[in-house]
Amino acid sequence: MTFLEAIDKDLIKVPMTARSAQEAVEELVELYAAKHGLSSAEREKLVLLVMDRERLGSTAMENGIAIPHAKVEGLKAPAVMVGVSRLAIDFGGERPSTIFFLVLAPAENPTEHIQILSSIAKLCSSDLFVRMLSSSKTKDDAYQLFFD
Amino acid sequence: MTRAPYRNILVYLDGSEESMTAAMYAILLASSSKARLHAVYVVNTKALGDLVRSRIFVDQERNEFLADLKKDASRHIRHAERLAASKDLQITTAALEGSPHKEILSYVKRNGIDLLVLGSVNAIRSRRDELTSENDRMLRTSPCPVVVVRDADDGIWSQFEEA
Repeated sequence: MTFLEAIDKDLIKVPMTARSAQEAVEELVELYAAKHGLSSAEREKLVLLVMDRERLGSTAMENGIAIPHAKVEGLKAPAVMVGVSRLAIDFGGERPSTIFFLVLAPAENPTEHIQILSSIAKLCSSDLFVRMLSSSKTKDDAYQLFFD
Repeated sequence: MTRAPYRNILVYLDGSEESMTAAMYAILLASSSKARLHAVYVVNTKALGDLVRSRIFVDQERNEFLADLKKDASRHIRHAERLAASKDLQITTAALEGSPHKEILSYVKRNGIDLLVLGSVNAIRSRRDELTSENDRMLRTSPCPVVVVRDADDGIWSQFEEA
């Protein structure tokens, strides 16, 4: 599955309401949990995996984008959650973050995981794309940007 | 009888189920046309380096993923070798490192490959060049004909088992 195939309007949140890194991860994981009917224990496990990975080193980049991610044993397909926050959130980087891509990928397919992260990194190297995504007002606006 | 217009087939393995189906199809093609078959997996060290530079990966994580990718390469190459052996077909395999589309194109040129077999291309289109997948790049830039294998109804799996 490619990044574009993983993008799902139900997994986009604009604007986010989180005020901290932990809340941002919880808010994005909640989108996935709601879509796939996860129990609260399963949801907490995903949050923990992502936060454990963040403790190795923040995935916040200099341009205000953070790309938290985790390998998940037994996950059927990769998932990409996208969040845009009006308020900057301290995600442990040099600059606070306003755009989040949270990636969950099956531990069994490292190639897919890397391809998806790599696509996001390339996309986010475009200042124009980042500005447009930052200024999107709804999840439909944000969703459309990936395909235009 | 006219000989098939290809003698050296290359199938690109990327760890996906689609690429293993492509391997089965390539084995059937090679067996029926007496062509030589190659299967190559490319460990995407280019992407790993880019992810560390953009701070999405830390060094420890890069090393873990590199080890995972090498294991994945060995597993899929072994599987392709077993599939070929089950049809009494010789196969040349390789695990390379670098940027997948560049490594595959270079392999095509070095080894006189005249048919490239891919498991999938992006089902969804975007005008954003950043989102072009490795398979899409191979399809667009290959100097030889390319077959994209689709197996929506598992027909290739059945065909492989019956052959």
